[in-house]
Amino acid sequence: MSVIRRIPSNRWWHKKKNWIFFVSLILLIFARISKGSFYKDFYYFLSKPFWPGQFQKEVILKSVQQESFVQSNLLKKDNKRLREILSLQRLSEIDTISAAVISRKTGGWWRQIILNKGSKDGVEVGSFVLGPGGLLGRVSNTSLFTSSVILLTSPESKLGVWVDRIQTSGLLVGSGYEFPSLIIYSQDADVKVGDYVSSSPASTLLPPNIPIGVIQSIDESFKAKKTAKILLFAKPHAIDWVQIVEVKI
Amino acid sequence: MNKFISKKVPFICFVFIPIVFLWHPNWLGFLGIQPYWPLFWLLPWSMIHGSINGFIFGLFLGLILDSVTLESSFTQIPGLILCGVLFGRIKIHSDMLVGYFRYGLICSFGSLLCGTLYFLQILFNNFQDSNFLLFIPSIKNIFADVFLTSLFAPLICSQLFRLFNWYRHKPSIIYLEKK
Repeated sequence: MSVIRRIPSNRWWHKKKNWIFFVSLILLIFARISKGSFYKDFYYFLSKPFWPGQFQKEVILKSVQQESFVQSNLLKKDNKRLREILSLQRLSEIDTISAAVISRKTGGWWRQIILNKGSKDGVEVGSFVLGPGGLLGRVSNTSLFTSSVILLTSPESKLGVWVDRIQTSGLLVGSGYEFPSLIIYSQDADVKVGDYVSSSPASTLLPPNIPIGVIQSIDESFKAKKTAKILLFAKPHAIDWVQIVEVKI
Repeated sequence: MNKFISKKVPFICFVFIPIVFLWHPNWLGFLGIQPYWPLFWLLPWSMIHGSINGFIFGLFLGLILDSVTLESSFTQIPGLILCGVLFGRIKIHSDMLVGYFRYGLICSFGSLLCGTLYFLQILFNNFQDSNFLLFIPSIKNIFADVFLTSLFAPLICSQLFRLFNWYRHKPSIIYLEKK
């Protein structure tokens, strides 16, 4: 026969109180070892709205932005007026068409993107395409609903550009490689790594002063010309939306 | 109906080549470069149908792909035609029993050929400007292309080969049985 023994319930680990005590002890020890980092983080989030510097920083940044915005607007106006006087090519009242990139071939030999606006929407062959960062390429073919853009890196693309710091124009030649080459037809041109390259003010194909890229490295010069590799600002492999701008001559 | 579809399978695949070529799936790429898609179709086709068919469809493929890409002074036609003819010759030497790895080798050779021909065109086009040396860095394109094409060829080519060959074999077996 079996005797059912009463399970003793007066052991210390059967008491809830003790467990609570231990757990809170461990938590406290952890808090002590971690130097109260939980508290601090908690405090961080709690006190975030009341920080002193935050608001001030925003105000300052905003005013700086406004200042530069107003300044650039003034400069634009001034520039336009001067250009009108000199009767140079200008970016007239821009009518841009924004389009999405629906196909991109940005590696290998064929470097082109296809946009979802075509001749139906008034895109014309020869208008240029701007993305965030600057010039991407030129529309070289349109169908009814799409237009194909030849990128600056394509081996067929050749473009006159302007190096602003040394006031020299050069030729930007795509090569089927990430970094197109800039050719400057003078041996003693003082190009340096880090110079900005923009579209040429004398160009008839493009409006002036569109940022294109920055000189990344300079090759050895040979035969009375200098070549340099250009890092483009606009990254066609990451860009989804672009602006198509018509050239008015 | 089923037979009709299976007869048209090569042509359906043919139509999809430019689409894949334009689609340019980035997750398949390597250094931003894609495998050379037309070869995957051209290899089984010209192995089955011989050199002349390879020549013709190499020409067709080249025409279509040239129309899809923007470059007007360079063309992919010569490379594809050469590949078509060469792939057609392969059938004579070995009948059907082409191992997976040989697909890879053949395709890598083909893409090397196409890439080199294309590169030479770019070089000669810029020869008179004497800045053809600028294009040397883009040799990288050829090798990435060769690598990727040979990587995917065993997978895709063998499947396409089976697809294309399927409808051709069935009638011949029935024909033999009747005899």
